Amino acid sequence: MKWLMVLGIVVVAILMTLYEWPKINKEQKREKKAFVVLTAGSVILAVVLVYFPAMPGPTQLVDAIFKPLGKLLEQ
Amino acid sequence: MIEKGKISGLQMAILLYPTVVATALLILPATTGQFAKQDMWLSPIWASLFGYLAVMIAYRLHHYFPQETFVQYSEKIVGKFPGKLLGFGFLFFILHTNGMVLRDYGEFVTGNFLKQTPLIVMIMSMAFVCALAVRGGLEVIARSSQIFLPVFIVLFFLIILLLIPALNPKNMFPVMDEGITRSIRGAFVPSLWFSELFLISFLLPYLHEKEKGLKWAVVTTAFIMITLVTTNLFTLLLFGDIASSFTYPVMDAARYISIADFMQHVEAIVMAIWVTGMFIKICIFYYVVVIGTAQWLRLSDYRPIVFPIGFVLVSVSMWSASNLQELTHFTRTSWTFYAGLFLIVIPIVLLLIAKVRHKFPKKQSH
Repeated sequence: MKWLMVLGIVVVAILMTLYEWPKINKEQKREKKAFVVLTAGSVILAVVLVYFPAMPGPTQLVDAIFKPLGKLLEQ
Repeated sequence: MIEKGKISGLQMAILLYPTVVATALLILPATTGQFAKQDMWLSPIWASLFGYLAVMIAYRLHHYFPQETFVQYSEKIVGKFPGKLLGFGFLFFILHTNGMVLRDYGEFVTGNFLKQTPLIVMIMSMAFVCALAVRGGLEVIARSSQIFLPVFIVLFFLIILLLIPALNPKNMFPVMDEGITRSIRGAFVPSLWFSELFLISFLLPYLHEKEKGLKWAVVTTAFIMITLVTTNLFTLLLFGDIASSFTYPVMDAARYISIADFMQHVEAIVMAIWVTGMFIKICIFYYVVVIGTAQWLRLSDYRPIVFPIGFVLVSVSMWSASNLQELTHFTRTSWTFYAGLFLIVIPIVLLLIAKVRHKFPKKQSH
């Protein structure tokens, strides 16, 4: 089942690239770089999340920083 | 400038109203009720002060840098590297919060209506629709908001009207039996939702009539306050002490409506209000992330990165919590300080530094 989700993620990324790539001008090098890096990053993140859904994320990071203050609001 | 579209002051107000109200409408009565008990209808009034504060800070900063957004002027105020760091932190905060909002939306719809649909389908379809709107630019979001907001308001009034026969005014008493401290404690979490109005920092540079920006922002804050007071008052009068034990009190209030065994199941209306409001809220946050990232990377166009950021947004939203209870707990505790840091504390510090720099301009070295 998990390989199917990975396949889905890759298909979405390919569709995104097929749609967006021809629309970026040849001179827009920075835009191309940003697009490639962001797409690759998001695919990697999504695939990792498929296999390790319970991986500690931004919420845990923020929680670790603000926990002492957050305790004040607990009842 | 990266965004070519322009919006009017009224359109900005129309965009801001659902940005705060959409999430607050359903969750707020439970959050404030926990602390403020029968004084919960007073809490949004105190909380709105933070809304005015956030608007004033954003407006003063806009005054010093009229053509720029938070991501751009933070670099000018504190220098290149710290400014980039602040910009990244802010964008990370907005992306994370947007992921949480999207998750909230997905959990609500799958939990209450489409019980067989997987969460990811709800989240992806919403993210896709928002991506299309954001790709169209600020004007497109503003106009879709112009179409949705009247629907939102009419449906809201319909629910309020249908609830009137079931209200019990005695639930409100005793008013302020322990002074105002309880209602102020209840105002803590909503005040950070009001602080989301700081996002006008990303809308003010694109206004037609600059001088009317402040006026409309203040008007919209007042309307948000009135809406939230009404919601809290009605849930309180209907449920009394138990209002805070529901996850979505407004939803349960709507389930309660039954007129002559004929008008029933109007909670579908609440669902309609929520979906239209959430669409605009997610669009605004999404737009801020996209335009902020484009400015942070100094791109000449923001459209190429709309879909990749949408992809990240869906991942973050699935990642943000393992279930609704965890998400709600996080929103009520650590998130408030997290948001306070980025939406109130950092902007105030930036404003003070900008003021000092404005008074004592550095000598140009030629």
